[in-house]
Amino acid sequence: MNDQPKTPPKAEGWEAELDELELRRAEAQKLGGAEAVAKHHAQGRLTIRERIAGLVDPGSFQEVGGLTGQGRYEGGKLKSVTPAPYVMGVAAIDGRPVAVGGEDFTVRGGISWSGDRKKGGQGGFIEDMAASYRIPLVNLIDGSGGSVTSISRRGHAVFPGVHGFERSVELLGKVPVVSAVLGTAAGGPAGRAILSHLSIMVQSTSQVFAAGPPVVERSLGQKISKEDLGGPALAVDLAGTIDNVAESEDACFAMIRRFLSYMPQNVWELPPQTPATDPVDRCEEELLRIVPKDRRRPYDMRRLVELIVDQDSMLEIQPTFGTAVITVLARMNGTVVGVIANNPMIYGGAMDVKAARKQAHFTELCDCFHIPLVFFVDVPGFMVGKDAEAAATLREGMRAVYVGLQASVPMFTVVVRKCYGMAGMGATDKNGIDFKIAWPSAEWGSLPIEGGVAAAFRRELAAAPDPKTREREIEAELRAVASPFRTAEAFGVEDIVDPRETRPYLCHFIDAAQASLKTNLGPKPKYGVRP
Amino acid sequence: MAKIVAKSEVMGLVAQIESKVGDRIAAGDTVMFIESMKMQIPVMVEDTGTLREILVKVGDAVSEGQVVAILEE
Repeated sequence: MNDQPKTPPKAEGWEAELDELELRRAEAQKLGGAEAVAKHHAQGRLTIRERIAGLVDPGSFQEVGGLTGQGRYEGGKLKSVTPAPYVMGVAAIDGRPVAVGGEDFTVRGGISWSGDRKKGGQGGFIEDMAASYRIPLVNLIDGSGGSVTSISRRGHAVFPGVHGFERSVELLGKVPVVSAVLGTAAGGPAGRAILSHLSIMVQSTSQVFAAGPPVVERSLGQKISKEDLGGPALAVDLAGTIDNVAESEDACFAMIRRFLSYMPQNVWELPPQTPATDPVDRCEEELLRIVPKDRRRPYDMRRLVELIVDQDSMLEIQPTFGTAVITVLARMNGTVVGVIANNPMIYGGAMDVKAARKQAHFTELCDCFHIPLVFFVDVPGFMVGKDAEAAATLREGMRAVYVGLQASVPMFTVVVRKCYGMAGMGATDKNGIDFKIAWPSAEWGSLPIEGGVAAAFRRELAAAPDPKTREREIEAELRAVASPFRTAEAFGVEDIVDPRETRPYLCHFIDAAQASLKTNLGPKPKYGVRP
Repeated sequence: MAKIVAKSEVMGLVAQIESKVGDRIAAGDTVMFIESMKMQIPVMVEDTGTLREILVKVGDAVSEGQVVAILEE
């Protein structure tokens, strides 16, 4: 403003208090001290203040609780403060407010700190703020939770859940929660990483586990490095404990910003619509060549999706876990959609336990935040075989089907090639208008013709002079009748489209379905018992 | 010479071998197909190299992640 005085006004006798405030703020900026910060940097990690600065819009961070810590006094006069090992506040990402906070590893390894009120972690101020203001929460995790030293400090052992996860759980149904594991996380912080809509860890510098190597060695006699126990190769690729991995902390922050760009601020809002920059009627010739005529040959489903959704609009969730299915946030004509696409490169797209878990989680994510789903279907069914049965594929697969049937967002099904069995049914909008379109390469049924013929025509085949030839003849006869065009005649599938027309076709109906989304805002309670 | 391994991403049977020892194979090219779930899944190499050894033959059962061929840069 123009009428601001050029020199600061006098403090009118409050100089000492202002000096103390300044000293306390300066102490907070020092974190765990120069030596601890240098050690932290030497491990290739940023401090919590650098992390927040790297994540949010420049100059948007307003800290809360910066004075919290342990003061050291001499003769009643404050000399220094060891800050509480958690930094947090409100900030903006792409101009929208978010609650952001994280452990300060440079202060006692970021372990829990007990003041009158918790700043961060489960049940902390940051969770209260995100829940009350209905704004997204970003957890920048770098700590191991409690320490047994607290027993002697408190004089008693705390009961598990004294700072429980109830608020963390409530948040998952109300606002987007993103957790980034930026160091070694165990215990409560590791648990919070899982209680999120997207979890990310950083290659080489982060690990996550229920308990670290010393506890494992004491409990099981197993000697293992923390990278082998909880690095991304295990936690992301093999177990899917954490969703995505980023190459660096900066890449992690970019991924968080990108993820939140698809999300509404809370479940009472729709996801942000962006101006459409990619023509709706863009019809790619490559789509005509992408599916091989030879039914046994797979193709690049990611490329197929990329050619149909808005250009450069894809963010893949869990790209390295459960790879028989591909889950992607994207845009169609500027509207956010969730894409679930079977990957024929992995077991022909058959749904295994991991793919089922991934599909169920992604379906819930999209349903929670009112994001329509688009299925690109090429699924021969659930994965078969002893290993698959031992892993409970049938149960996990049916759970994915169950979650899909509880979802209420509009879903659009594009059958690219195979659509068989219960997994195929799980890729349709049975709760909605069950809208299915197909490419001419599509085929479907309760089970594939191959194999099915041998079982259904056993006697006829046994009686034939050349059973193998007869089996192939019957297969050819059935395949001709099983043409997708015959089903379209019966309106058993709503349309067959030229693959190149898929984008404009879908865009029309995704736009038309927006009105229904506006009438179904708010939290979505889920009843019943998941199988 | 750095060693490059080609792994099968799936469990199945070796259906067809596309290359022979000594062939130069570019990144993304297919060394062989594994028949699995009625599909022929390609085994592709991640880096360009010369094929030094094929560890399986047509009809062999392979497990998920099994190394099926070795190349040298």
